Amino acid sequence: MNLESLIHAKLEGEITPEQHEQLEALLRDDWQARRLYLELADQHARLLQQAAVNTGRLKQPSVISRTVRWRTSALLASAAAIVLLAFIVWPRAAVDNEAISNGVAMLSDTLDAEFAENAVRSGDTIAPGILTLNKGLAKIEFFSGATVLIEGATQIEVISAWEARCVSGRVRVHVPPAAKGFLMDAPGMKLEDLGTEFALNVTGKDSAVHVFEGEVIAHTKEKPPASLKEGMTLGQTDAGFLPIGDVHDLVRQRQERRHAEWQKWSQERCEDPRLVAYYTFKHWPDDRWDRLVKSYAIPPQKQRAGGAVGAKWTQGRWPGKDALEFKRPGDRLRLNLDGSYTALTLSAWVKVDSVDKKYNSLLLTDGYDNGEPHWQIYEDGSLMFSIIYRPDGITRGGDWNQIYFSKPVFGPDSLGRWHHIAVSYDNQSGQVIQYFDGAEVSREVSKLHQAGRPISYGPCELGNWGLPTQGHPFPIRNLNGAIDEFAIYAAVLSGAEIQSIFENGNPK
Amino acid sequence: MSAPSPGTESFILLLTQHQEALFRYIFSLLANEADARDALQETSLALYRKHGEYDPSRPFLPWACRFAYRQVQKHREKAARSPLLFSEDVIDLLARDRERLEPELDRRIQLLDGCLAKLTPQDKELVTSRYGQRQGAEEMMGRFAMSRRTLFRNLERVRQRLHACVTRQLQSEGLS
Repeated sequence: MNLESLIHAKLEGEITPEQHEQLEALLRDDWQARRLYLELADQHARLLQQAAVNTGRLKQPSVISRTVRWRTSALLASAAAIVLLAFIVWPRAAVDNEAISNGVAMLSDTLDAEFAENAVRSGDTIAPGILTLNKGLAKIEFFSGATVLIEGATQIEVISAWEARCVSGRVRVHVPPAAKGFLMDAPGMKLEDLGTEFALNVTGKDSAVHVFEGEVIAHTKEKPPASLKEGMTLGQTDAGFLPIGDVHDLVRQRQERRHAEWQKWSQERCEDPRLVAYYTFKHWPDDRWDRLVKSYAIPPQKQRAGGAVGAKWTQGRWPGKDALEFKRPGDRLRLNLDGSYTALTLSAWVKVDSVDKKYNSLLLTDGYDNGEPHWQIYEDGSLMFSIIYRPDGITRGGDWNQIYFSKPVFGPDSLGRWHHIAVSYDNQSGQVIQYFDGAEVSREVSKLHQAGRPISYGPCELGNWGLPTQGHPFPIRNLNGAIDEFAIYAAVLSGAEIQSIFENGNPK
Repeated sequence: MSAPSPGTESFILLLTQHQEALFRYIFSLLANEADARDALQETSLALYRKHGEYDPSRPFLPWACRFAYRQVQKHREKAARSPLLFSEDVIDLLARDRERLEPELDRRIQLLDGCLAKLTPQDKELVTSRYGQRQGAEEMMGRFAMSRRTLFRNLERVRQRLHACVTRQLQSEGLS
């Protein structure tokens, strides 16, 4: 069971002692897990407190009447009345409606980084708290503008946008003029940065600082504040100070390596006989119309090449890897896939910037006729696969739509990053399995399933819904994001194969 | 019979205003509704007894939470052998994190209303049945023709949706 399911089981009282132990271990080790737990427990408690949800809306908190009269002085009775009162009146709503966040920094870049807090990923907003890097490099950009690079076994405490504390390890701090006054604490000293760059090594109770540029004021308990200028070192250290120059090179080299590894793997994958089409979104500079998206499945099926409409070329998972970006309501990639199939797997690398419509298109056939698959992201961030079979003679209406939802997978933590998504469907068992980053996120058979009905695509498109059926208003369903790989198979790929696609294509 | 003094009255108002927040605080540490209600009653009593010690120039909730924390501890001691109660260190960690996260948790509660309105009719029915009508698992299994497993999976999914919706709203409102 994953963390989320453990929390829900706990809240419902459906947890076993073993699972409880597991949950406790997760909560003990990881403050992000505790945060998720607190959020879900609070939500549950709020729902429990509210009796009238029938309308779908919680009653707005009402202003407490000042005319409440107490007619008894008996202590117990009063106290009981207090408790009773709690269920008939609601606390005043906060007047301030502005969103709040306790984030004070963000993790902008990492290189082979392993954190003790395993939920930390590059791109995350960081709230005050301890961050423990076990290995690798990580760059933290504070909202004040200060940037801190940490390396190897380093533990730092993020205190605010203007202050951090190095518990142990090696850090390098860059403070632009706007963040002048940024404080870095270390055992025995507080370093006030006056717009500069410096490095700090902390081992046990000993701190050593070296100023590369500008000026740092070192506040220590014993002595009056000391000014450290360019080239000056305070304290002693055996380790070298953390250099900055080659970090960017290392990041670039790693990206190039991952890109090359994926290319090699992708070339082998082209020969998979189960492929209907395989789009790697390779932009051809010599394509004078600039709109061609070839399928690389072997043997080549030229008629299955796609034509981009509106969508612009952009950078994919790595520099040098192309992708198509879908932003405007007209953006789409037109396809026409011939053939009739008994099973399918759709596999894609996508970067979703926002789930801002009710339905956000991945692959949809024009219209929605019998045996045509639709794959979208629903407004709550879940993957939504559907396929329709109406009985003979019925061309519209009725409840014949087999819809399969995953749990929500696109949310603040996953938006704006590259993720692998996949779905498989087999027309014998009717089982639909959806995947997110290689892991199964739903498995279901629709009640409407009947074995053996064929699957077909025909004219269809990625990233939008081309020609909605007549009589429908024209809903806007374009994807807000980018796609840099899309494979369509005529078979069900196993969970292990999906996992391998994820691992081989993972940008990190 | 005499009416309580004005000080008592304003204290009761304060206490009433914070009942919901106190319940959430206690519930997050005990994770059991009946236990949390008991502890909330005990906390209300304890607060009432000590209301003379409250300094109105200071925020009420943190002061009241200290009492609630003690009641949670007491409850834990009473049922110390239950494997389904959080250990003391975990409760302590949660209580401390919660203090730090309080503004965000509060904002999430405000956003929850809007997200409930956005649920699909089926999901709304589930929420109403579970929370509004307080139907038990057996009753709900009959009503929705679901196995126990599917029912709890669906409830989990609805709560997950609500949580994701609130998170998204927080995000879209922009980080301060």
